[in-house]
Amino acid sequence: MAQQSGGAFTRRTFIGVAGGVAASTLLAACSRAGGNGGSGGGGGAKSAKFWNMPWGSDAFLAEDKRIVAAYKPDSGLPSFTYQQIQWANFTQTFQSAVASNTNPAVSSGGGTQAFQFAAQGKIAYADDLFDSWEGDLKDDFLDGLLDTMKTDDGYAAIPYNLDVRCSWYNKTLMEEAGATPPTTWDEYLETCAKLKAKGYYGFGLGSGAGSFTGSHILTGFMINNGGGIFNDKLEPDLVTPENEEAIDFILELVHKGYSDPNSATYTSANVQSQWKAKKFAFGWDGAGLPANVGPVAPDLVVGEPLKSRSGKQGFLYFPNNIMMYKNTPSQKGSEAFLTYYYKNMKTLWTKKTGIGLPPLKSIANTPEVSGDSNNKTILDKWNPIYHTWGAPGTSGLFANVAYTVDGTQPMITFTQSILGGKVKAADALKTLQNQIEPLMKK
Amino acid sequence: MSTETANIRLAGVAGRRRRLGELGERGKWWRFLAIVFITAVVIVPVVAVFILSLTPAFGSTETGLTFANYGHIFTATNLSYWLENSLFVALVTVVVAVAVAAPAGYVLSRGRNKLISGYALILFVIQSLPVVTAVIPLFFLFVKLNLNDNLAGVMIIYIGSTMSVAIWMMAAYFDSIPITLEEAAWIDGASVFGSFTRVVLRNSLPGILSTAIFSFLLAWNDYLIAVVFLKSDVNYTLPIGLQTFFQQNATDWGNVMAVAVIMMLPPIIVFAALNRYFSVGGIGGSLAGR
Amino acid sequence: MSTESVTRSLQRARNGVGVGGGGAPVRQRRNKALNHGTTFFFFALPSLFLLLLLNLYPVIYAGFQSVHNGDLIDPGDFIGLHNYLTVLQTADFWRAARFTVIFTIVGVFGSWAIGLGIALLLRTKIPANPVFKVLLLLPWVVPTVVSATAWNWLVATPQAPLPVIAKAIGFGDVSFLGDPLAAQVLVCIFKVWISFPFMMMMLSSALAAVDTNVYEASRVDGAGTWQTFTRITLPMISRTTYVSWILMTIFCVNDFPTIYLLTGGGPVNATQSLVVMAYQTVFANQQVGPGVAIAFIMTIVLVIVSVVLYRQIRKASIE
Repeated sequence: MAQQSGGAFTRRTFIGVAGGVAASTLLAACSRAGGNGGSGGGGGAKSAKFWNMPWGSDAFLAEDKRIVAAYKPDSGLPSFTYQQIQWANFTQTFQSAVASNTNPAVSSGGGTQAFQFAAQGKIAYADDLFDSWEGDLKDDFLDGLLDTMKTDDGYAAIPYNLDVRCSWYNKTLMEEAGATPPTTWDEYLETCAKLKAKGYYGFGLGSGAGSFTGSHILTGFMINNGGGIFNDKLEPDLVTPENEEAIDFILELVHKGYSDPNSATYTSANVQSQWKAKKFAFGWDGAGLPANVGPVAPDLVVGEPLKSRSGKQGFLYFPNNIMMYKNTPSQKGSEAFLTYYYKNMKTLWTKKTGIGLPPLKSIANTPEVSGDSNNKTILDKWNPIYHTWGAPGTSGLFANVAYTVDGTQPMITFTQSILGGKVKAADALKTLQNQIEPLMKK
Repeated sequence: MSTETANIRLAGVAGRRRRLGELGERGKWWRFLAIVFITAVVIVPVVAVFILSLTPAFGSTETGLTFANYGHIFTATNLSYWLENSLFVALVTVVVAVAVAAPAGYVLSRGRNKLISGYALILFVIQSLPVVTAVIPLFFLFVKLNLNDNLAGVMIIYIGSTMSVAIWMMAAYFDSIPITLEEAAWIDGASVFGSFTRVVLRNSLPGILSTAIFSFLLAWNDYLIAVVFLKSDVNYTLPIGLQTFFQQNATDWGNVMAVAVIMMLPPIIVFAALNRYFSVGGIGGSLAGR
Repeated sequence: MSTESVTRSLQRARNGVGVGGGGAPVRQRRNKALNHGTTFFFFALPSLFLLLLLNLYPVIYAGFQSVHNGDLIDPGDFIGLHNYLTVLQTADFWRAARFTVIFTIVGVFGSWAIGLGIALLLRTKIPANPVFKVLLLLPWVVPTVVSATAWNWLVATPQAPLPVIAKAIGFGDVSFLGDPLAAQVLVCIFKVWISFPFMMMMLSSALAAVDTNVYEASRVDGAGTWQTFTRITLPMISRTTYVSWILMTIFCVNDFPTIYLLTGGGPVNATQSLVVMAYQTVFANQQVGPGVAIAFIMTIVLVIVSVVLYRQIRKASIE
């Protein structure tokens, strides 16, 4: 029984201790909660917010913070505070902020976010800013890039970095298989056949949980063949001969066993591990692939754009951008900040912080960027043939891109069904058309 | 019947330990093997987390296993800050959740009128509402209350989201405590409040701890709410700190896993420390103690 | 007094009623309890306040969204029950509903059976017992973002451990995430893995409260192990069992991260449950009205299931 009363004693002690903890944490809660008070609101007196995404590594965050902290506004204009927004659920973060008027004055974000917010009347167009950049920064943007930001009402945003899709190959494995880098779809089939003979996959990609890259690649092939998702009325128009031919080509790659049978469900981490494991010898991904494959990185080379069966070239890229919001402490202040930022952001690239390709020629031509042969191939050979989601109908972007194809569920389902290889091209395209049509707004 | 049980009772207290002991000795090692096997299978993914936390960071040419990720997260990130915020948020959530849920659970367990049954049912209804659609309206509400980007704000949400389950867990446990104990206290002149704190709560440690662990883990692991509500670096909790390794073109899995291992430690330590309280209390203990 | 209570608990055990449950004393207790209505009101008040604060506005807001055609920023126009009718007419909804049912049934009973089994095992004398108790809690402790990645790592590529083992023991090339059926099975197992520690914990604390004297009595009566289990153990923990079933049903139906992080609902929507569908409809497809309508339909069914199970709880305690 002694043990039992011991138990009772410790129970009592425990409750006492718990009570003490409770009291002290509550006291702490009051003081902490007061101290950290809400920093929301459209910006206090003389301070505005800049929200940026984790475009690169820790080094990116440090450098970006440094640049923003060094901004000295002219008198009467607001200073800027820096805030990094995480990718997890970022659309919710932005939409809830905009809807509750706690949005920043300036932010980056998803590539089509600005167009959606513009359609909802929340964006301050950048036309005045570009006018003030005339003969200066404005001419520094890569050719055609500004057009991607143009809407009927003005420039919805300012191009910031390029997220591209291109082909990659492992030169050692290619050599081993006796394959040469292809330049046309038919040559690509031959390359894949040679790689397959050695047990390598030639059509490496993934479309698993959280990975939209696979759907980008399939769209890229449609654009490659002169097709794409939207017509010139900016409506989805998928069931076209060009698209059908492109998807038939993908299905041919799948049926011949050139793609990994699991690729429909590969996350980007899985894709990277297949490159690392030397299973993928040729594949399609973003420009940042080598940074994620460790020891295989030195072997990876960007391929050349392929000529399709119809003799066309083309692929998909995403001009990420920075947008200004109507709800700002000072529109002049937002513009002054961005002028400063664009004139001083070069180190984000020269210090190799992991951000996508630069939007400005002056940065693209620095040895740190163009010295990398893969970057050079992308900038010289791929950049001229890139299209946005709006292809073939438009060179720009618009709100319905965000609603129908950018990160939507039907695109994933479509891609998984094609990579599964058990559907017909025309049927799959028709299904996709039927699924995204109702998602259109206005 | 009552004579029979009285006899058992007489023999019981003295004989119980010995008899259970006998049962315990037989096949002890078989059961040990079984539990070792089950545990081994169950923790394979956890071991995978640990192994992944030891793999070299991307871009690194290192091969094999390394503790570099741990070095990185301790020196190059605000880990200590995240840890502090998370502990603070989780502990306040636990304390308040238990303090609010315990009396409500008692009402559910002992009360038998329509109103109380109705409340019990409403708890299930509320718990049934999907959290995912509530985040944005809650955000609007909290902006108005000036509780966005504020640890107090997320704590209130966590406490609220634990509430239904916490009340039900407490109620289910209180059900196992015989009303006779309270009746005795009432006869001695105790109020309902007095009998609740001195008799019921005192004997409910396993129930309280289960509820506390549930609330702790809910607050400790959440990122869906935190990522929308908390924006300033100084307010980051561990799950958001974890999100900072998810970059646009890359995810630093080694670091994510290293932080995850660190994240697992406090709940494990707390649970290991409190483990013995799980087995005491309850009717068995309280009767024997009398 | 002790003797009396033992007698009563024994009786109740034989009647198939939980220890805390009724029998004659209920009336006596109820009267006493009603005398303390005010105290009860104040006991319940803080929780009521919190629940109203956090749920009233979101529910009204979501209800509003479900009968409008707006988005997260623009409220849109009133369109009546159009969203509900549209959603109910799609084949995707019913496919997701079907998977939700399977996922929930496997999740609830799988985690309950395993949780109970381990709780019973850990109740006996086993060397290093506390160590196992802690280790077995780990699946619940690991953040789902992390455990989903660990599971992915174990199954995703052909070189991953599980496919290698499956091949070695003669199952051939199993694509755990790529094959629809395999992915469904995997997601269910993942859910059971995450959930059983919760069940184990709830049932352990319920078992800890069971008066061991009752077992002695049943041994005197000559009951076998299985009889003891079905006639005494199960009835003794029946209330906790029902509560845990309801809670786990709600957890499973409402479980977004488990599925979303492991499979994203794929391949080709094979593992898409209703809540994942609702989430994707609202946030990926930005169809707020239909998405919220899905969530509401789901909630209504869930409430009906809860009510049915809740009746069982009351039966278990009032018999």
